[in-house]
Amino acid sequence: MIGVQEKKIIELPQRDLGKETIVQVDNLSVYYGDFQAVKQVSLPIEKNTITALIGPSGCGKSTFLRALNRMNDTIPSARSEGSIRYDGVPLLDAAIDVSALRKEMGMVFQKPNPFPKSIYENIVHGLRYHGIRKKSQLKTLVQESLEQAALWDEVSDRLDASALSLSGGQQQRLCIARTLALKPQVILFDEPTSALDPISTAKIEKLMLELKEHYTLIVVTHNMQQAARIADNTAFFYQGELVEYNATQELFNQPTEKRTAEYINGQFS
Amino acid sequence: MKSQITNRMATVLISVCAGLMALIMIALVGYIFYQGLGHVTWHFLTTVASTFQVGGGIKDQLWNSFYLLIVTMIFTTPLGIAGGIYLSEYAKPNRVTGFIRSCVEVLASLPSIVVGLFGMLVFVNTFHWGYSILSGAVALTIFNLPVIVRVTEDALRSVPVALKEASFGLGVGQWYTIKNVLLPAAFPGILTGIILSAGRVFGESAALLFTAGLTSPDLDFKNWSPFAFDSPLNPLRSAETLSVHIYSVNTVAIVKDAPQVAAASAAVLALFVLIFNLSARGLGAWIQKRMSGKS
Ligand SMILES: Nc1ncnc2c1ncn2[C@@H]1O[C@H](COP(=O)(O)OP(=O)(O)OP(=O)(O)O)[C@@H](O)[C@H]1O
Ligand SMILES: [Mg+2]
Repeated sequence: MIGVQEKKIIELPQRDLGKETIVQVDNLSVYYGDFQAVKQVSLPIEKNTITALIGPSGCGKSTFLRALNRMNDTIPSARSEGSIRYDGVPLLDAAIDVSALRKEMGMVFQKPNPFPKSIYENIVHGLRYHGIRKKSQLKTLVQESLEQAALWDEVSDRLDASALSLSGGQQQRLCIARTLALKPQVILFDEPTSALDPISTAKIEKLMLELKEHYTLIVVTHNMQQAARIADNTAFFYQGELVEYNATQELFNQPTEKRTAEYINGQFS
Repeated sequence: MKSQITNRMATVLISVCAGLMALIMIALVGYIFYQGLGHVTWHFLTTVASTFQVGGGIKDQLWNSFYLLIVTMIFTTPLGIAGGIYLSEYAKPNRVTGFIRSCVEVLASLPSIVVGLFGMLVFVNTFHWGYSILSGAVALTIFNLPVIVRVTEDALRSVPVALKEASFGLGVGQWYTIKNVLLPAAFPGILTGIILSAGRVFGESAALLFTAGLTSPDLDFKNWSPFAFDSPLNPLRSAETLSVHIYSVNTVAIVKDAPQVAAASAAVLALFVLIFNLSARGLGAWIQKRMSGKS
């Protein structure tokens, strides 16, 4: 099927070719009913990098991100076409176990959304569902994931406290820990810091740079400074199309497309 | 300036309306209590009703009301919650679902006397259950089920989508998410709705006139075998409830103290319904507070 379609993979600059591709998107289109929110997008995501998705509001960044872990399946009118390959596996295939997929590709949302339960329960919710029941094992995983999310020191003495008693930034790190506990390969972030203050944002950015060692991160952001600070590669979306995709430095310093240049110079948003 | 005046006027109007409502409520309940409570004694609550002599009580009727309430809630709660979960989480937005939802709405707005007559034709006559607790409870189930379905559906729908997405985003399946995230979050709303509906069931009379009947055998509170004809637990015996008793005392009773008995029964009934309502609010708020963990 892929062979038949015209391939529109955007080649990355030479120096990046050393990294292996973990997710390969080809000709991805996403529709809500008749409305096409993502138009024929093709791009490779490199392993152990941070990829930023930028673009004006409503240009389809979230829709694209949610197509990757099939979160759009939960919206009855949404429909995806094209191909997404993760380690060679076709993710849009009807036979894909979405539960296993979402465990592999964790997701962190714009607004921190902890469950109204204890900190501990927030983390073990997914673990229990995925078959881990032994108390000792759960405890270890809770501690590990909280340490990885740089939250352990702040909450180790009150794991039974409600997650809602945490600050916004702590809640978001809890949401990251909850995802990390499932040992994913890829983590999708949809504007993870847009609801947070600058200090919490800095903490989360630092955390993301650390996580890059072991995970592949894809981040939707409205904040171009943020993309410039943390992303290895950046994709610029405009009205559902992928306009330009390049190493972050290149994209910001020498954009090849006029619309990219205008957007990063703040001529529209 | 003008919008300020409009604003002021609207506020005054709304306050007056709210005040009026409260006033009517207090006057009504106050009147019922003033008329009836004087006659409510321990003796009144624990003595059987008397047909000819002064001094009868409402012991059996009180028991019947609670027994019928419990049986009805055992039928309606699981069914109603299951229906609400189905409508809010599983049903696809299509015509069949729309039809089911309309049915629930029609059922909810059916006059209870119609439900009672239907119950008489189907359960009492066709099924030969006679005037019985069972017929009454099933009629009340028809009357109450749509309420619980709607309460459950509304409570589930008002759980923030973000919570559902959080769970799905972790690869957690739908049923596990419903069971462990949505239902706990919707629990205060569902519980409040169930208790409020219990108040409605407790006070219902029209649906019971022709299903649970206007009489009950002299109950033998020492015989708890559900098969004995005069056992309090027998589901196939007729059972006059408190609200039906008020109706029958007011219409057909010949005892001298009928007015006092009716007023006192009404006061007891109102008191229990009030307790249901207040506890629903209190409990809902308390659980909400505990769950959000900020207490
Ligand atoms: N559930 C939905 N049903 C119908 N249309 C939708 C739905 N979700 C998004 N859209 C539409 O799809 C387009 C892309 O939306 P999307 O949320 O992906 O944009 P975005 O780039 O993430 O924007 P933002 O920066 O504001 O989050 C928009 O025009 C939006 O109106
Ligand atoms: Mg978005």
